[in-house]
Amino acid sequence: MAENEPKILSFLCNWCSYGAADLAGVSRMEYPPNIRVIRIPCTGRMSPKFILAGLRRGADAVWVSG
Amino acid sequence: MKNLLEHTGIAPGRLHFSWISSAESTKFVDVVKKITEEVKALEPALNYAKTEPKVN
Amino acid sequence: MTGYTEKIREIAARLLTEGKVDRVIGFRKGTVPMMNQPHYVTSPAMAGELIWDSHCGLNLANYVTDRKERIGIVAKGCDSRNLVTHIIENKIKRDQLVIIGVPCTGMVDRSKVCALVEGEITSVEESDDAITVSGNGFSKTIAKTDVLRENCAVCTHRNPVIHDEMVGEPVAEQTGVDAYASVKKVEALSPEEKWNYFEDLISTCIRCYACRNACPLCYCPTCFVDESRPQWVGKSQDPIDVRTFHLLRAYHCAGRCTDCGACETACPMGIKVREFTKKLNKDCFELYGWEAGLTLDKRPPLDVYKTDDPDDFIR
Repeated sequence: MAENEPKILSFLCNWCSYGAADLAGVSRMEYPPNIRVIRIPCTGRMSPKFILAGLRRGADAVWVSG
Repeated sequence: MKNLLEHTGIAPGRLHFSWISSAESTKFVDVVKKITEEVKALEPALNYAKTEPKVN
Repeated sequence: MTGYTEKIREIAARLLTEGKVDRVIGFRKGTVPMMNQPHYVTSPAMAGELIWDSHCGLNLANYVTDRKERIGIVAKGCDSRNLVTHIIENKIKRDQLVIIGVPCTGMVDRSKVCALVEGEITSVEESDDAITVSGNGFSKTIAKTDVLRENCAVCTHRNPVIHDEMVGEPVAEQTGVDAYASVKKVEALSPEEKWNYFEDLISTCIRCYACRNACPLCYCPTCFVDESRPQWVGKSQDPIDVRTFHLLRAYHCAGRCTDCGACETACPMGIKVREFTKKLNKDCFELYGWEAGLTLDKRPPLDVYKTDDPDDFIR
């Protein structure tokens, strides 16, 4: 791999950022392919466990978005 | 509250939080770009990743 | 401090005779010097088994979760704060408890004492501010302030915050101690140094979970370490798994930890596990001005949303 392509584990809230991601897709906007999206029902579902489990399994970064 | 991660030396800048409304697709794209750039600037090797034990 | 034992026995016997409580939780003499055991008595005749000295480091609030009977409990400053936390979290009702408050001048760290003498300690005598340890062919008197547990040395809540009975006059609170000195020292390090510091700290961890079991906050029916679907943390001695365990344990205590030091007292390997929880305590204090277990009238900061909650970390 010539360039460093990090994996960014993304936890997106169904009602907020996931909607925004959907809209971005529908609007044919371009964004980096490094994010791996996991939809969560609400940011309140988020737990420190998820973050540590993600990092432990080799994610380069974690992004939580409400 | 995630200060502890950085406190124990898990690289700062590996955990991001944001707030985006479902109508803000432009902000979403912006944030993705920014975060990707920031993480790219870090070393790819991450000491927290667990190497799975070999099964003989 | 020396007269506390008689007073505790007297109060326990009285509560049990009057039928105000079904049992009294306290300490009894352990089989090894400087290791007292948690103990409960159910009849006035048994009250004589209770004792109090400088080796009651475990937290008795650990034993009241989800109990249905009426309980008398011996509580030093930190125990009483954990009782407050329990009441706030609906793990016990206030009217089930008769709290026997014990003003505390700090508990002794057994490992520190053992490090000062050579040979096995077989008996311990105690006066107000010193302890005398003796064994085969030696005897040594040590000032208590030299061998206090680290959390006791920086404790600023020595007197019980709630109590129904008191066994003695409140003691003077310590002033001018920097509770977070150790945290600040680590904060000054670079990320790599921090990583190595904690790597070194937990390198001897044997994953016995004594810290979890001794902690009054850890009352989940199934602990995350025992969950297998999904398995959040591996069950191995792998440094990453050990670290994940310690981090998650600390996060579960965020905003609830009273720094009672039971985890460190229980650790058979002498790991300073408080280094993890202490950082979160400091954050809670700095961000929300919160110290756990001081009042029954306020909800913990992580329970409630306020419009002025700090949100600098959100972009």
